Amino acid sequence: MAAVTIKRLVKQFGGLVAIDNLDVEVKEQSIHSIIGPNGAGKTTVFNCITGFYRPEGGDILLDDHSMVGLLPDQIVQHGIARTYQNIRLFPNLTAMENILVGLHSHLKAGYFGIVLGLPATRREEKEANDQALQLLNFVNLSGKGDLLAKNLPYGDQRRLEIGRALATRPKVLLLDEPAAGMNPKESQDLMDFIRHLRDELGITIILIEHQMRVVMGISEKVTVLDYGKKIAEGTPADVQSNPQVVEAYLGRGSSVQHTRTAS
Amino acid sequence: MNPAQTQKLPGIQMGLIGGVCLVILALIGIVEAFNERHIVAEVISMGHTLLLLTAAFVAYLTAARSRHLGFGRALGHVLLAGLIMSAMLALLVLVGQAVNLRQVFINASPGLYQILIFHQESLAAGIALLLVAGLLTGFLAWLLHLAPQRLRRVLITALLSIVVVGLLQDLLQPILGVWAPLATMSGWLFEVSGLSLPGAIGLAVLVAAVTALWSRQSTAVRARIQSLAPERQRNLKWAAILIGLAVLLVLPSVLGIFLSEVLTIIGLYVLLGLGLNIVVGFAGLLDLGYVAFFAIGSYTVAILTSPEIGAYQLNFWQALPVAVVLGTLAGALLGIPVLKMRGDYLAITTLGFGEIIRILVLSDVLRPWLGGAQGIARIPKASILGFEFSGPQEIYYLLIAGCFLVGFVSWRLRDSRLGRAWMAMREDEDVAQAMGINLVSTKLLAFATGAGFSALSGAIFATKLGSVYPHSFNVMISINILCLIIVGGMGSMPGVIVGAVALVGLPELLREFAEYRLLVYGAALVAMMLLRPEGLWPEAMRKRELHDNDIGAGEPDAPRG
Repeated sequence: MAAVTIKRLVKQFGGLVAIDNLDVEVKEQSIHSIIGPNGAGKTTVFNCITGFYRPEGGDILLDDHSMVGLLPDQIVQHGIARTYQNIRLFPNLTAMENILVGLHSHLKAGYFGIVLGLPATRREEKEANDQALQLLNFVNLSGKGDLLAKNLPYGDQRRLEIGRALATRPKVLLLDEPAAGMNPKESQDLMDFIRHLRDELGITIILIEHQMRVVMGISEKVTVLDYGKKIAEGTPADVQSNPQVVEAYLGRGSSVQHTRTAS
Repeated sequence: MNPAQTQKLPGIQMGLIGGVCLVILALIGIVEAFNERHIVAEVISMGHTLLLLTAAFVAYLTAARSRHLGFGRALGHVLLAGLIMSAMLALLVLVGQAVNLRQVFINASPGLYQILIFHQESLAAGIALLLVAGLLTGFLAWLLHLAPQRLRRVLITALLSIVVVGLLQDLLQPILGVWAPLATMSGWLFEVSGLSLPGAIGLAVLVAAVTALWSRQSTAVRARIQSLAPERQRNLKWAAILIGLAVLLVLPSVLGIFLSEVLTIIGLYVLLGLGLNIVVGFAGLLDLGYVAFFAIGSYTVAILTSPEIGAYQLNFWQALPVAVVLGTLAGALLGIPVLKMRGDYLAITTLGFGEIIRILVLSDVLRPWLGGAQGIARIPKASILGFEFSGPQEIYYLLIAGCFLVGFVSWRLRDSRLGRAWMAMREDEDVAQAMGINLVSTKLLAFATGAGFSALSGAIFATKLGSVYPHSFNVMISINILCLIIVGGMGSMPGVIVGAVALVGLPELLREFAEYRLLVYGAALVAMMLLRPEGLWPEAMRKRELHDNDIGAGEPDAPRG
């Protein structure tokens, strides 16, 4: 069964067609990668799914509910969470507070409950703290809860961002280049971690990634975009041998040059 | 400063910069205005102190910057800087004698030149003295820079204590006069016009001794407190809080009417600051029309209680909740049109809203209800169980209660789901929304809460003055509050208090500053941005930065909440 279905999605910026009639089906509890050269529209797809952009056409379904037209805060409550290509933590909040913000929509404390310190509010706050500590532990940041997010090293920031996304208890997690700037050892750890997320928590993962080692290592399905269009889809092996994909990445090679000189 | 940026000739450059500063200080009249008061009687006046401190600061910076040049050449540079600074002042005197500068600089009076040449009969002797003073300042600054850090701190604290006690003499003398033994000490410490010379020396020695002792013992004391059982630590904390409370409660009767008045003004600004701190500091929404809610609170109380309007004639306690509710509603209403605006756009729009309210209360159309330019007078005082909040000494308690209430609410909100949502929104609005935060309700709650606090403050303001006028609610109030938040530290609640004391309290105490208030604000803001952009008492100091060092040891997370 499909967790996320993208149907004939169109997104334009002025005259530029960033996404052109895109159809993607992401299977439940799968790891699905979206790849493509720079400017292919990968992040735009994420922005459409999470409600940052409103698409001009088509539909995005999460378990048969349309997400198009909902606000980002409503979409995350339906169970889609994301991370960002350039890390976007709340830099002047602590790691702990970053995670607690992620828990926001699962807390119910009202204004007067907070001010009066009602027992229910206190209990909820304590439980939230416990959960946040567990999550910090889960993303391997235990003991760093009181550090400001901006003071954490790069790798910790990446993991904290994933932890914050997990705090929203997503069914689908969108990871935008999580392995950017990581060395082979770190990307290997990341791959294990992503598999762990899927296997242990049953989360569907959609991944944008440039490191082919990561993509080919963990994806069950790969969708290749170029200029907003889907040019290939299939298992990592299928995609790797697809001539159109090679062309999109490496250019048209000698055949193009011949045509040019001829004309 | 990195090596590539170090100056080739720090003495000349710093000397010129310092000289320009000194000449400007002299020409804007601040030196002459300050000269009315003596820090140490018959020895040094406030005007001279200002020049000396500025010169010493610049010379000290020169010493720090020329350190890499070696011992002797550094001394040369520092002396040169001191000489250049005094020479520029001397040049000002000479030019001023030859040409009438007063047509341009109205403060360039003969009195100023007399101050600059130390009231010497002959010009030559005065200028010579000025140059020597410059050299001496440089030399002393160089010595200070050479001194080991601990000694340096002790010396600076001792010298500054003389300046501070000298500045606040009018304030301290009546306080010390309350109790006979202290009064004797005060008689020894002060003369009619300033600190006595033995008093000043005694004070410096005492402060130096205490500072030296503290710098030696503070770590040990702190360690001992840390090693106490948690229960006893808590008792200690409660004892400190109770003592603090007791001091707060007896303060107005000890300080007398004038100082209580200053305290109530500070209190009003603390109240306003705590409210705006929620909007600007927590939620990051730059609101420049904040005074509008202050006005709404004041006018609501005035209309509901004053017999001049006569329609309602409620008492203060009946009018207060109405004022707060109306302020809160107005805050939410203002929030609606500006929901989509950020940064500068938000600031301009809210600025406009503040002006709209002021012009509305000024308008002739609404005169029958709002009193127009004459405002509304005869607002009755608040009273509770026969205790009337009449003068500043009584209003003070009303404000303390207000501050505690508002402080408590802010504190509760800050460490809650809502406070985190505000801060997340301040940090990154888009991501906050993607974390499930409803921007509309979160923003409106911030505006409404801040506005409610402002209205509460306005209500107390109305009963304090007994009358309200439109001109009390101009945009400068909003700017002042914003300044004190920035100086105190954005988002920090103790910072609001520190900021209010520094920017509102001090100018009230040092009446010479009153004319230069805006200049001091500007200078303070620039200095803050350069030296301490996080504010005097930043929020982050809570614990996170302090814990940075312990993390490596793998310390488990302290339980929060």
